[in-house]
Amino acid sequence: MDLTDKEYVERCRDGHQEDFSLLVDRYQKPLFSYLAARVGNFAQAEEAAQESFVRAFLSLKKLRKPESFYSWLLGIAGRVAQEQFRSDLRRRQIHEAAETMMTSAADADEEYPLEEAIAVLPENHRQVILLRYYEGLSCQEVATRLAMPLGTVTKTLSRAFLLLRQDLQARERAEQTVNLNEQP
Amino acid sequence: MNCAECRDNFIACAEGLLERQDELQCQAHLETCAQCRAEYEAVASLQRRLIARGQAAAGVSLVQTVMRRVQREQFTPERETIMSKLFRNRWGWGLGTAAGAAAIVAVILLTTPKAQARALEIMSKGAQAVAKLTSIHLRGQLRSAPQDNFSAIMPECDFVSIELWKQFEPALKWRVDKPGRTAVMDGQSTLLFIKPDFGYKVPQASPSAFDTQWLHEIANLSQTLESEINAIKARGWPVTLADEQGADGKSKSVISVEAKSGLGAGDYLHNKFFSTADTRHEYVFDNQSELLESVKVYLHAASGDQLVFKLDEIDCNPAIDPAVFQLQLPANVSMGGPMQVLPDNQKYVAMTSEQAARALFDACGREDWTEAAKFFNPLPDSMKQYLGGLQVVSIGTHFSASNGAELVPYEIKLKNGQVKKFTLSLKRDRSTSRWFFDGGI
Repeated sequence: MDLTDKEYVERCRDGHQEDFSLLVDRYQKPLFSYLAARVGNFAQAEEAAQESFVRAFLSLKKLRKPESFYSWLLGIAGRVAQEQFRSDLRRRQIHEAAETMMTSAADADEEYPLEEAIAVLPENHRQVILLRYYEGLSCQEVATRLAMPLGTVTKTLSRAFLLLRQDLQARERAEQTVNLNEQP
Repeated sequence: MNCAECRDNFIACAEGLLERQDELQCQAHLETCAQCRAEYEAVASLQRRLIARGQAAAGVSLVQTVMRRVQREQFTPERETIMSKLFRNRWGWGLGTAAGAAAIVAVILLTTPKAQARALEIMSKGAQAVAKLTSIHLRGQLRSAPQDNFSAIMPECDFVSIELWKQFEPALKWRVDKPGRTAVMDGQSTLLFIKPDFGYKVPQASPSAFDTQWLHEIANLSQTLESEINAIKARGWPVTLADEQGADGKSKSVISVEAKSGLGAGDYLHNKFFSTADTRHEYVFDNQSELLESVKVYLHAASGDQLVFKLDEIDCNPAIDPAVFQLQLPANVSMGGPMQVLPDNQKYVAMTSEQAARALFDACGREDWTEAAKFFNPLPDSMKQYLGGLQVVSIGTHFSASNGAELVPYEIKLKNGQVKKFTLSLKRDRSTSRWFFDGGI
């Protein structure tokens, strides 16, 4: 049965720790995509995703808004990615590190804000997006899975697309403003 | 088709869900309206990005790896673990394949701070000795009814066997058996079977499920001991150490930990499950090998301490037959799964637990199994045979349990004339908000 993030978090806190596997199952793919876009390396992204989930589990009691689990998880993942990068720098020789930085910068894409935008969608919108695009279900399969009419799925997708586009446009505007301010 | 109608159809169009006629109309409008065309392209572009992101992550499968790590790393002092529960519950443990050899002939009880420090050191060495297990097999005896909950403690019952097989590598798999109940996780899904005809399948590979968590925690021997040590240090759990000479002539260390469940004696669940009982745990270590040899758990009841669990056999890194993790169910099994929202779901959501108990029993009395099935998940034939034709004598006022259930006292007269007076446990299903039967029949 599909519970909300809040319900899964509360069940985990109540001692049903096995339910954390359902949160991992729900968010492993978008989290991986987010990290792959940030670090530009699939193996490192998978390692960082594992670490992020484990840290999230160990800190679950500190999560003040269980309904914001995914946003919170992305925050943890961002810190893990930073630590991973710093750790790489320490491990390698300087010239190797420089090469890695260049490779990472070249391989990383600019798509990770997409997962950040998905994270702040209302939960029902987010679930439909994740099931349709990250789990690869058809709209009809999403409707069956969530026990809702097909028309509700397409309406929810429409609304989710609108919110995502607004969010991504706002991020692009903010980025442009930063770039302008950084110019000499 | 105008602009508003066309835009309403963007997602359905991009997803290929429009009827042919509507699709043609939409395309015709897009050809003539530059604004809508640009808007549609933005939607389609976002759709392509999302599909590409999903495809890039298609092969990702982290659940088992993460949950294995979670199991290994979750023993900080403030975190509740099996062992901390055991300590809280004042269990008595004595681990070891040679539990039978623990016929102690000499005992020196030590309670000084120095002795407690030594107890921690023994436990720490015991933990190190069993670190990096790839598999484990535990066999013990538990006072419980054969078919009842894996976690239920029933001091009035005789001992029944309980076994756990667990493979940590290369993929996590496990099986727990009692005479009337089996749970299996085969790496893909998790299955519960209660004899003779009740089944429930969870489509995920759960690291533990169906109230087997306490046994899994014991199976993670190294973590269990480490987390107990952390709990002792952080929370000041009382610990005693006894130096003993076993029947085999070897020197043993017996470490007892007292723990409280935190529940009052008036709590309905008090002393009914491992997680809600006051217990004493006893661990027996062989001083030469430093290995844990046996575990015992004693229940603290008003009538005195009673042994409720003893671990007879601990086999580390055994070769486990893959067939152990397969379970063939009889053909007559009724399978439970996610509850479905009913057309008249709200009617059942609006019920109090007393009303739900009444409706459940009345439906069974009428042998209206369609109606009764709305409260059971699943409703096997054995339950129908047992409850069919019953008469309700009385339904009492509910009270709440600490596990979120509402408990409704009831008295019914079964078709064979037997009168049953007990407490029905009902919980609300999280996805449908309806009451469902959680135990007590």
